[in-house]
Amino acid sequence: MITATQKPIDEIKETISPYKRVLVLGCASCVAECAAGGEKETGILASTLRMAAKMEGKEVTIREKTLDRQCVKDFVVQMDDIIDEYDAVLSLGCGAGVQAVAEIFPELPIIPALNTEFLGETRDQGFWVESCVGCGDCMLYYFGGICPLARCSKQLLNGPCGGSKDGRCEVDPEVPCAWQLIIERLERFNAMDRLEKIFPPKDWSKKQGQGPRKIIREDQQR
Amino acid sequence: MDIRKRSLALFYCQNVPQSGIKQRQALEKLYGPSIKLFPLPCSGRLEPLHLLRALEEFADAAYVVTCPEGACRYFEGNLRARKRVELARKIIASIGLEEDRVGIVMNEKERQKSLADFAKELMSRVSGLRPSPVLRPRTGFEDPERKQGDKL
Amino acid sequence: MRRLEEVLKSGKFAVTAECGPPKGADPEAILKKAELLKDKVDAINVTDNQTAIVRMSSMAACALLKQNGFDPVLQMVVRDRNRIALQSDVLGAAALGIENILCLSGDHQSFGNQPQAVGVFDLDSIQFVQVVREMRDNEVILGGDALSKPPKVFIGAAANPFGDPLGFRVVRLAKKVAAGADFIQTQCIYNLERFKKWMEMARERNLTEKVYILGGVTPLKSAKMAKYMKYKVAGMDIPDAVLARLEGVPSKKQAEEGIKMCVETIQGLKEIPGVSGVHIMAIEWEAKVAEIVERAGLGPRPTKGK
Repeated sequence: MITATQKPIDEIKETISPYKRVLVLGCASCVAECAAGGEKETGILASTLRMAAKMEGKEVTIREKTLDRQCVKDFVVQMDDIIDEYDAVLSLGCGAGVQAVAEIFPELPIIPALNTEFLGETRDQGFWVESCVGCGDCMLYYFGGICPLARCSKQLLNGPCGGSKDGRCEVDPEVPCAWQLIIERLERFNAMDRLEKIFPPKDWSKKQGQGPRKIIREDQQR
Repeated sequence: MDIRKRSLALFYCQNVPQSGIKQRQALEKLYGPSIKLFPLPCSGRLEPLHLLRALEEFADAAYVVTCPEGACRYFEGNLRARKRVELARKIIASIGLEEDRVGIVMNEKERQKSLADFAKELMSRVSGLRPSPVLRPRTGFEDPERKQGDKL
Repeated sequence: MRRLEEVLKSGKFAVTAECGPPKGADPEAILKKAELLKDKVDAINVTDNQTAIVRMSSMAACALLKQNGFDPVLQMVVRDRNRIALQSDVLGAAALGIENILCLSGDHQSFGNQPQAVGVFDLDSIQFVQVVREMRDNEVILGGDALSKPPKVFIGAAANPFGDPLGFRVVRLAKKVAAGADFIQTQCIYNLERFKKWMEMARERNLTEKVYILGGVTPLKSAKMAKYMKYKVAGMDIPDAVLARLEGVPSKKQAEEGIKMCVETIQGLKEIPGVSGVHIMAIEWEAKVAEIVERAGLGPRPTKGK
């Protein structure tokens, strides 16, 4: 999923300050799973902003709504009927959600309330960890299901570097060395020979390409 | 000092002693509109939003009363409540509200208190707060000290 | 022929040392350090923004050394440059007469004084070795475009015999050799027993016949420094006995004890089959290198064969 965290309240207050009627817009998908922008968090943020406005004696209307997905047009158009009631939307979607809403309502400022963080997994309650960089050319097979691009601090494809100690990364002893994990997994599968070859430089054109990457599937189109 | 001069939203676990409907009605009669009581099947069901909404709409303070530590019927409901209260305290502090407008009180294993004990204790504690700056413009609850002679 | 390569090929025990460029634009600073090493070592490594702290560029410092008659080893980390810049700098270095390049990953940017910098890591150190080898031997860059003139450089890489897991450390050495490393400089050796084990594994894979291995040493100035390196520096293996030995002498004499231990380590290294030389990293203590070389019986250095 895409993970995110809420921006500091002062930054949010500053960015919505020019607007009198603000819709606080949650998203019930990824950012709900990581407890940053789901219905609950949207309610909390809207309530907090209303209280802050009252404390400052500001006359503003702040209401909340949560879409199933902000990044999918079919869900965003559900706001067609109510959008005229607002001067701005404060989006608790990820960066993609914010931009998808802005694409559909080009007249309206769509302001991000979250910092989008990474593609990750919910490892435990209240604990999310990055595990994919979206490189466009998955190499997990070779590395026993552990991605060195996402999980090695130096993105080494022929690692480990000289800094790991007791299975921990030199950058932060809290972080397990991705290469230690890779080696343990491959030893378990008796597949250490996969590491004997030299992995060539990564083809980053599959990630960076020319402008934003697109996927076009004619079989899926209307 | 009239301990009814501030309004309190009091959330409580239904396993707190003497917290049935009769006791609740008695407390509502005693404190009038200064108190709003919200029974919960377990304090673990409390959400930060409940506390914030109370502060936003009518209360100078919002508190939750739970079973003693280690005595939650659902094992860790009251521990979760504590974390959620902590989050709500952080949120209100971030907009300049006093953290003490939100809080949690856990019952004691050895000397269990009743809902009425807690209500009295918390109403008294809350009466020391200044009127909530969130409610002031709307004058949802009047401050007897601001309007002399006017007793709720 | 390249000087370091010449010494190694002749079968003599090679000696290299290290100079960190200044945190400023002063050319004298690096030359002063190098002067202390004159005729004491076969080549001088110039570090590349080590510990991710901004310093005079390694390339510029190497050019200064070259102009003044020294033989520099240009250290290049993949942390700060993508493949375009790395290949371009290899060509530039060769054009400036720099004959040795050491290809490294580099200390992570979070350690230094620019923790907000992007870590590039477009190539890793092994891929970089391979790229330089292709440039030199096959006269092509990545993707196959031909070079008008190849960079005739002696290619080095680093190895840490003390990192985990030990088994894979030798696999990684083998990969560096297969990628094209001519010589290896190792992490500082304080645990000679573990180093011997690693060398034994390297010999089993016939790696010592394919690559020159220079054991790394760093003299310890004090018990305090030893403690710092033991607990704070990534990838360092300082056994308790080493620390205890330094702590066992009065603080005034710890520096001398550190030199003595360093000399003993070098003498130990000379006895290990497959070790071709020593790389002395006297951190901000270049003045002591001459003494260490002398006392380890490595002086005087062979004069230029050219």
